[in-house]
Amino acid sequence: MSKKVLIVDDSSTMRKIVTRSLRQAGIEIDQILEAGDGQQALDILAGEQVDMILSDINMPTMDGLEFLRQKSAKDAIKNIPVVMITTEAGADILGEAKSLGAVGAIKKPFTPDMIQQVLGKFL
Amino acid sequence: MDLSQIIKDATTEIFETMLMMEVNPAAPLDQRAQKFTDSVSGIIGLGGAGGGMLAIHAPIRVAQNITSNFLGMDVDEVNEDVLDAIGEMANMLAGNVKRDIAKLGSDLTLAIPSTISGPEYKVDCPSTSLGVSLPFSIDAGTFLVELHLQKAS
Repeated sequence: MSKKVLIVDDSSTMRKIVTRSLRQAGIEIDQILEAGDGQQALDILAGEQVDMILSDINMPTMDGLEFLRQKSAKDAIKNIPVVMITTEAGADILGEAKSLGAVGAIKKPFTPDMIQQVLGKFL
Repeated sequence: MDLSQIIKDATTEIFETMLMMEVNPAAPLDQRAQKFTDSVSGIIGLGGAGGGMLAIHAPIRVAQNITSNFLGMDVDEVNEDVLDAIGEMANMLAGNVKRDIAKLGSDLTLAIPSTISGPEYKVDCPSTSLGVSLPFSIDAGTFLVELHLQKAS
């Protein structure tokens, strides 16, 4: 079955590392889309169906928490699972992300094994 | 609050986990370095009660080597990849520092990282009561990580 993932991070380096880590973790993905912030992600999701979203929290223009908030208000995309990949690993921020619908979190720095552990159950 | 140990732990964890590189810390600098030559710096502001700044400063050759290991490809110029990689390095270092500072009862918020590169530039730092500049060596050379905080309330 075709799998499509959207990576949301303002760092192009981190988007490349996440992409590489997904491959190294052995997760089969047919297409990876990239967005530099939450607004770009919403724009992409207006025209694309994806199976999973991996999102940073600390981003300019629209951060990951606001992205979750706006996504949850849109019927067409509110059920797409989101895993946060972030340096912001405090219980308060991750708790807020979870309350806004995030289904998991991976802390930077991470290894492909960590990616596999969290994403394996969704992809 | 042992800022040197916090920086050592954060830097070692990031390099070993994401770059598969060994880093060796040296003794903290007696005086903060302000002027940098042919280098790349990633800087992130820290807000909150103990706010201040964190920065990583790397000579171009070291910054290229870090980026190359990050991305798994050869890098032989100072391009957007190098600037972004050093900025992201500052971001991850600040995230780890935030986690460790929180264990000591002080809260930090992270700004968006910025980067500077050039033949010669100066990086000023707001006046703070706690600060440390710690050199690290890798095969390609030496880079500097500095952390400056207001005294935790």
